[in-house]
Amino acid sequence: MNNEVILSDISSPLLARGNWREYQPNKQDLLPVGAPAVDDRLQGGIVRNGLHEFFGAQKGDAIAAAAFALLLALRLPELGARIFWISGDKERQGSGRLYPPGLAELGGNPAKMILVQAANLRDALRATADSIRSKAAGAVILEAQGNAKLIDLTSTRRLALAAAESGVLALLVRGDAVPMPSAASTRWQIRSAPSLPLPGNAPGLATFDISLLRHRGGIAPFTAKVTWDHATRSFHDTPLSGGFSTVVTGGEADPELRIQA
Amino acid sequence: MRIAACDSAALGLGLMLGTALADARARVPELAVFDHDPAADIELLGWLADGCERYTPACMLDPPQGLLLDITGCVHLFGEDEAVLAKDLKARLRRHGLSGRLALGATPDSARAKAKYAKAAIGALPVEALESGDKVHQALRRAGLKSIGDLAKRPRTPLAARFGKAVVIKLARLLEEEDPRIIPRRSLPAIHTAQNFAEPVSRTNDVLATIEQLAGAAAVQLRERGQGGRRFEVSLFRSDGHVARLGVDTGGPTRDSSLLMRLIRERIDALADPLDPGFGYDLIRLAVPLAETLTSVQVGLEQKVDTDAEAVALIDRLSVRLGADRVRHFHARDSHIPERAALERAAQSGASHGDWQTPQPGEPAMRPLRLFETPQAIEVMASIPDGPPRQFRWRRNLYQIISFEGPERMAPEWWRHKRGYEAGNGGLTRDYYRVEDKEGNRFWLFRRGLYDETESPCWYLHGLFA
Repeated sequence: MNNEVILSDISSPLLARGNWREYQPNKQDLLPVGAPAVDDRLQGGIVRNGLHEFFGAQKGDAIAAAAFALLLALRLPELGARIFWISGDKERQGSGRLYPPGLAELGGNPAKMILVQAANLRDALRATADSIRSKAAGAVILEAQGNAKLIDLTSTRRLALAAAESGVLALLVRGDAVPMPSAASTRWQIRSAPSLPLPGNAPGLATFDISLLRHRGGIAPFTAKVTWDHATRSFHDTPLSGGFSTVVTGGEADPELRIQA
Repeated sequence: MRIAACDSAALGLGLMLGTALADARARVPELAVFDHDPAADIELLGWLADGCERYTPACMLDPPQGLLLDITGCVHLFGEDEAVLAKDLKARLRRHGLSGRLALGATPDSARAKAKYAKAAIGALPVEALESGDKVHQALRRAGLKSIGDLAKRPRTPLAARFGKAVVIKLARLLEEEDPRIIPRRSLPAIHTAQNFAEPVSRTNDVLATIEQLAGAAAVQLRERGQGGRRFEVSLFRSDGHVARLGVDTGGPTRDSSLLMRLIRERIDALADPLDPGFGYDLIRLAVPLAETLTSVQVGLEQKVDTDAEAVALIDRLSVRLGADRVRHFHARDSHIPERAALERAAQSGASHGDWQTPQPGEPAMRPLRLFETPQAIEVMASIPDGPPRQFRWRRNLYQIISFEGPERMAPEWWRHKRGYEAGNGGLTRDYYRVEDKEGNRFWLFRRGLYDETESPCWYLHGLFA
């Protein structure tokens, strides 16, 4: 009985200090993904003023990871929020440059995009931290392909703290890298998924298989299939093409959420 | 080989400019000889001119051996009269083992001639000071006119009739009747502030504090003019004559000295070889070579963060640190060739412009999110020669295509080719296909050339869709 009283005395100033904000976000700090099935699992969305990591499932999925991160940035409610895209020389040579007509066709505004091309990862990380701190951008995306020692717990923690303070959405695109411990709020694995073909067997809207690998708030990992709709600037659950299929799978926390068509 | 230049000791031994080297060696066997290097001389002269900018911003080279300084209105900064300035300059030259002849004149020509012929009075200058060619000089001497003083007494009109107008103009300049301006090496900035030090400073913090103080003073001048600086230049004059210059560009006109200080710190951090203060700087100058109109802005009461201003400041900082061409934004260009349709330009250079199209709801993107700078060559298998691809190999992986859309035919820009209007000269048509493989990867492929244009068209991967 005595112990309990003392414990509560200790814990209240700790809580009041505000260090818990990044772990226990309020509702208005969440950025909904748009797809109801995913947002239900995330209890509203991803933390807006946090750091999020995106890995490709395979070597060829670097584009999917980059695209998903960019599309999430386009979800920001402020129409025309500036997006800083920071990459190194290596990324640009390896996977091509960002193509503004393609970006516009996904609902983005190329005029609000600032490209920063650093010579190496060290400069890129520094530019990212500065961009997050300055409040100039709605979202800052750092693209760093391959395994890099520089992106560790310390450097990601620095980015996460900067994002928590400035309210900027920080996205880290890791492409084909192997996940390492980091201070990101969420970690996702993205894979290109076959789209629902259009009449005439033409490739359809951009579709992704996304898996939540890790969540700081303790939400259990899950997998979902989402499609991007450029008109509403939102992801939605991929319509099913007949038969039984599970949109959201995995995660023992809440089996009721499994949807059956 | 002849002597092109020699020092005073050699002159004392009776050697002269133009003496043949063999004669000189015969007379003075222990003579030390070096090859004449005019380029190095000019470089040294330029270095001296840099150092002389501590006295006046208006400095001009007078090759091969002269420097012209316009010290109008600059003398009071150094002492009571010109002698103080001259003494300082002489002492600095001596420190480098250089000797010089200084002369003061009301016009550049008179100062120059006085220094060249080592005469204090203009009248005592020989007629050669007119620099009008040997024939003119000889003719004047024959007529008994041996000095400028003699010439000055004569009426000018017959002189102009006999020797031409150029001689009379030159004479007027020598006699300080007509004052041509010198053309300074650097254009004079409208706004500059400077700080002299009796004792050279070498600590970076002191230097930065001085620059900040100067920036504050420059901001006051800019505000009075209703302007903001677009380019700032800091010159650090080392006491041994070396001058280091730091240039900073901003995306928009500014007179915010704290912003300027951030940029200058970035600039110092980004220097390839760090600043070497040596024995310290004894003069620091801040100039604003480029300024634009900047009206004052009322800051809102609600303390709302101005993201546009923040963005300009951030772009400036990143541009200074990484290089202006590494921070870019998009520009649309009027071309249907995909790689030409979009440009990237330095974000500092101006606003992004372009009219980008968004497809109808439900329609997929027809252009890729990423485009390869150079299309990637791929091996393609197609069911019929000019039909859509069935599978292709890229970077050693095989991709099976299950759905496609195309071809989207793009004619070449024949008007860019020489004689492109003639058949076969206009370039090759491209057939673009949007394809998806069974894993869900979406690609943008094209075949370069139709079968009636070329015998073996090649396939390329040009972009990746989201």
